[in-house]
Amino acid sequence: MAPPAQSQRSPSPSQPSGKSELSDLKLQLRKFAGSRAPGVDDSKRELFKKVISYMTIGIDVSSLFGEMVMCSATSDIVLKKMCYLYVGNYAKVNPDLALLTINFLQRDCHDQDPMIRGLALRSLCSLRVANLVEYLVGPLGSGLKDSNSYVRMVAVIGVLKLYHISASTCIDADFPSMLKHLMLNDSDTQVVANCLSALQEIWSAEASRSEEAPREREALISKPVIYYLLNRIKEFSEWAQCLVLELITKYVPSDSSEIFDIMNLLEDRLQHANGAVVLATVKVFLQLTLSMTDVHQQVYERIKAPLLTLVSSGSPEQSYAVLSHLHLLVMRAPYVFSSDYKHFYCQYNEPSYVKRLKLEMLTAVANESNTYEIVTELCEYAANVDIPIARESIRAVGKIALQQYDVNAIVDRLLQFLEMDKDYVTADALVLVKDLLRKYPQWSHDCIAVVGNISSKNVQEPKAKAALIWMLGEYSQDMQDAPYILESLIENWDEEHSAEVRLHLLTAVMKCFFKRPPETQSALGAALAAGVADFHQDVHDRALFYHRILRYNVSVAERVVNPPKQAVSVFADTQSSEIKDRIFEEFNSLSVLYQKPSYMFIDKEHRGPPEFADELGNLSIGEAEDNVVPSQRVEENDKDLLLTTAEKEETRGSTGHSQQASFGIDDLLGLGMPAVPDAPPSPPQLKLNAKAALDPSTFQQKWRQLPVALSQELSLSPQAIAALTAPQALLRHMQSHSIHCIASGGQSPNFKFFFFAQKYKESSNYLVECIINTSSAKAQVKIKADDQSTSQAFSTLFESALSKFGIP
Amino acid sequence: MPPLMGIEFLCRVSDVLSDYLGGLNEDVIKDNFVIVYELLDEMIDNGFPLTTEPNILREMIAPPNIVSKVLSVVTGNSSNVSDTLPGATGSCIPWRAADPKYANNEVYVDLVEEMDTVINRDGVLVKCEIYGEVRVNSHLSGLPDLTLSFANPSILDDVRFHPCVRFRPWESHQILSFVPPDGEFKLMSYRVKKLKSTPIYVKPQLSSDAGKWCVNVLVGLRNDHGKTIDSITLQFQLPPCVLSADLTSNTGTVNVLGNKTCSWSIGRIPKDKTPSLSGTLEFESELERLNVFPTFRVGFKIMGVALSGVQIDKLDLKSTPSRLYKGFRALTQAGEFEVRS
Repeated sequence: MAPPAQSQRSPSPSQPSGKSELSDLKLQLRKFAGSRAPGVDDSKRELFKKVISYMTIGIDVSSLFGEMVMCSATSDIVLKKMCYLYVGNYAKVNPDLALLTINFLQRDCHDQDPMIRGLALRSLCSLRVANLVEYLVGPLGSGLKDSNSYVRMVAVIGVLKLYHISASTCIDADFPSMLKHLMLNDSDTQVVANCLSALQEIWSAEASRSEEAPREREALISKPVIYYLLNRIKEFSEWAQCLVLELITKYVPSDSSEIFDIMNLLEDRLQHANGAVVLATVKVFLQLTLSMTDVHQQVYERIKAPLLTLVSSGSPEQSYAVLSHLHLLVMRAPYVFSSDYKHFYCQYNEPSYVKRLKLEMLTAVANESNTYEIVTELCEYAANVDIPIARESIRAVGKIALQQYDVNAIVDRLLQFLEMDKDYVTADALVLVKDLLRKYPQWSHDCIAVVGNISSKNVQEPKAKAALIWMLGEYSQDMQDAPYILESLIENWDEEHSAEVRLHLLTAVMKCFFKRPPETQSALGAALAAGVADFHQDVHDRALFYHRILRYNVSVAERVVNPPKQAVSVFADTQSSEIKDRIFEEFNSLSVLYQKPSYMFIDKEHRGPPEFADELGNLSIGEAEDNVVPSQRVEENDKDLLLTTAEKEETRGSTGHSQQASFGIDDLLGLGMPAVPDAPPSPPQLKLNAKAALDPSTFQQKWRQLPVALSQELSLSPQAIAALTAPQALLRHMQSHSIHCIASGGQSPNFKFFFFAQKYKESSNYLVECIINTSSAKAQVKIKADDQSTSQAFSTLFESALSKFGIP
Repeated sequence: MPPLMGIEFLCRVSDVLSDYLGGLNEDVIKDNFVIVYELLDEMIDNGFPLTTEPNILREMIAPPNIVSKVLSVVTGNSSNVSDTLPGATGSCIPWRAADPKYANNEVYVDLVEEMDTVINRDGVLVKCEIYGEVRVNSHLSGLPDLTLSFANPSILDDVRFHPCVRFRPWESHQILSFVPPDGEFKLMSYRVKKLKSTPIYVKPQLSSDAGKWCVNVLVGLRNDHGKTIDSITLQFQLPPCVLSADLTSNTGTVNVLGNKTCSWSIGRIPKDKTPSLSGTLEFESELERLNVFPTFRVGFKIMGVALSGVQIDKLDLKSTPSRLYKGFRALTQAGEFEVRS
């Protein structure tokens, strides 16, 4: 490498004057090509650098190809590297050059310097030219057996690259089994780690295509492999450790002593300097102990300190990522962190995304013992220069108030906000006071006194204005001026742009009317007239409705508009607990940062149906843990998969029984007993049990064990597509054909279903995975059966059932 | 994709690059793109991080520096890539280069602490914590095996170690036993919670007097550590509605920057007087009350003392070579030290 001092002074190469420069370079390169004079490498380097910088800014320098290759017949690695970069860039676009390149690189794959062997092999595999893959097999094969670990390490990743260019070439050359051998025997851990990541990627991509792939994938998380990796974990690089730890989370230990062994072995990983390792270890601990409630709680205590340290040290991005994870944990176990609330205090110069998350944390950990401190702290932020954060913190105070029983102090604080005389603070505080009053009507006197002093002219934001109007209506008996304020608001009806505010205004004036009729009557008339004339449909309808109901019977109207209200005890949570559980299963992934389970941001339109196979892999592995988990966990998981089967109760009742029976039959069939006498092709003879039962874990287990009997693509009628607005529609339909759904999910246009059916009077099961894409009107169907011989008959049955969907 | 893996890796890449290139910006990368290519090539392949240990990378790809330039001129051997593969890639101590030799065996241990504090307007400590690091700079021949022990390990709260630290001795006896990487590295980091006092106090006061707002800030030493406190600075943001500020101090210099940030650098606190800053603020409109209160961020440095009270007991080297020089230092500085008003 040329020293930087020189290169800094060299003129910018961005504007070559044109062809003449290229031919100039060509001549110079040629001059040096054969030369072995000392110092010639330096000049070559300068030239190469120039060529590459041209290339980088998009000037075509492919005409120099021959000279470049000639010049790189040297032992200078920097020259080699630059040359590899150059040839790699042009091989892709220029097939003639590609062949030349391959010759050149293949030669270097036999160089005596391992570094050059490795680099050449890496460049060779990075060419990604599909029709040249046959040239890769030889060098890769010898690379995997190379005596130097650097070359082997490169070769392993090379295999993976080959797989992505041409999967069949890779499988045919039997590379996966070579990788497996290397993984279990190589002395260099980086080679082992690369093997592991390559195998994982290959087998999960293969899962949809081959039958051995799922088995091979299972083999990766089998006891011997896991133990082998665990024993060597300290030798691995930090990144490889993350990989291994991720693998371990998928492993299902046989008993609790095994769990403790693993945890003991990995405990020091929690003190690793690399945050990624720490978080991966945390995931292992959490997943392993899911079934052991006591230990799970202890795990929370144990992981607390390392996670909190990760938050306070390191970059804001890291803090954010870790805080997101902590937030998830706090939702599951708020009390664990309630004494550490001070860690979530915001620092002055933190970026606002971190602050926002910290505010959420403070809300989540607030309990009887720390509310006072937390609310005091939050009130400090209300005076923050950062306005969004100030608002956010006021909302946080409100949320805490809604969580707590003793709200005395908090109400005072909120009322102080109202008096703070800053419009955004007032606005947010108003919304909160409204919510608070709905939950704690007993505070109305104190609040109303303050709210009454607020001039509605100072409140501009629709939400806040609506809240103020709501209070005016609801508590008009206690507020001297209520009717008059409402009246003045109605006078300015046309200036009110928000329909929400106008709707509230209508309702408020109605309420006020029932409480103080004489004072409100004229305002009510004006409001109704304005409302009926309103161009907004909802406002118009509501005004008309009030008008008619008043004409019909005033006391009925009062009962409708102003019924005695019960205090709201719990406000609906925005995110369901199923979703949260699902996110928890995807701990240490982006799901936690996005606060969405992965299928919500992966499975949408930009991913085609075949990709679902990946998700299935995740599902079945996710389920695997449930085998060791008590049944209530399984139930939770049911909900995860958005189960909607009607006979879930029934299923649970008969689970154990039917399961045993089905295994009995399996055995018999396994012994080679002749299958059902009335085999296909006589579909009507295959009768299904209308009350079939199968529990999810058995389903998962079978789905993993059984090979795919049939896989096909069916077309759906337009009627079916129209009827399939939600998964539930299809479920009911299929159930009427004795095909039951065990799990369904997805959003338009991609739906995914798992069905099962049972043969009438036998417990031979059929399992179906059905992926429907409504935009292409296709269904991908995969059928697995205990009894392979009847799968064709079942498939016909399934197809006919599906084809009738949507047709009344 | 584990999020922290991405973040940590990017941090590591930026560390390595700035280590190699002596800084990290667009120009530097453009000027040294070949080195950047080479480094990235070794650090990540097919989306998976490989080698990020600076010591090993340094052996694979020599950094551009004056010495190697001179060398290359003298010897005519200009390659900045070593001819052989680094020994450490094969050894089971990946962080240590194979068998370095030094004429003087030296090892330096630095305790660097940062104090994170929040003080509210009544002068009450809301939060006070210390984040500390033990940094070691070792130049030792061969394969040295070091043990380091603290006089009071029990006050360390959450510790994190460099991969070279063995876990068992720490768990059983709170002793750090390790084979150090060559050169400078962070051996461990720790936190100390719930400290009771800060070395300096800051008393801000805002008062209104006939429509004028007066600011008055006092800074002083709280208790004597026997060490002088250096480079004391104070920064705060004036409320956005302030038109102009007229601030003066009896020591140090005061600057009001364009974005309404006011910084006051005091330096050392003189013996005879208490530094104070005072002045008046002028607002756009007459205000009865102030709604936005500035937060004062304080900076300081104390050499020679670790405020958390952590003390290093001793540092031993197994198989002591003929001469070993050991050096210890401590430093405390302000981290996020905030005083609210």
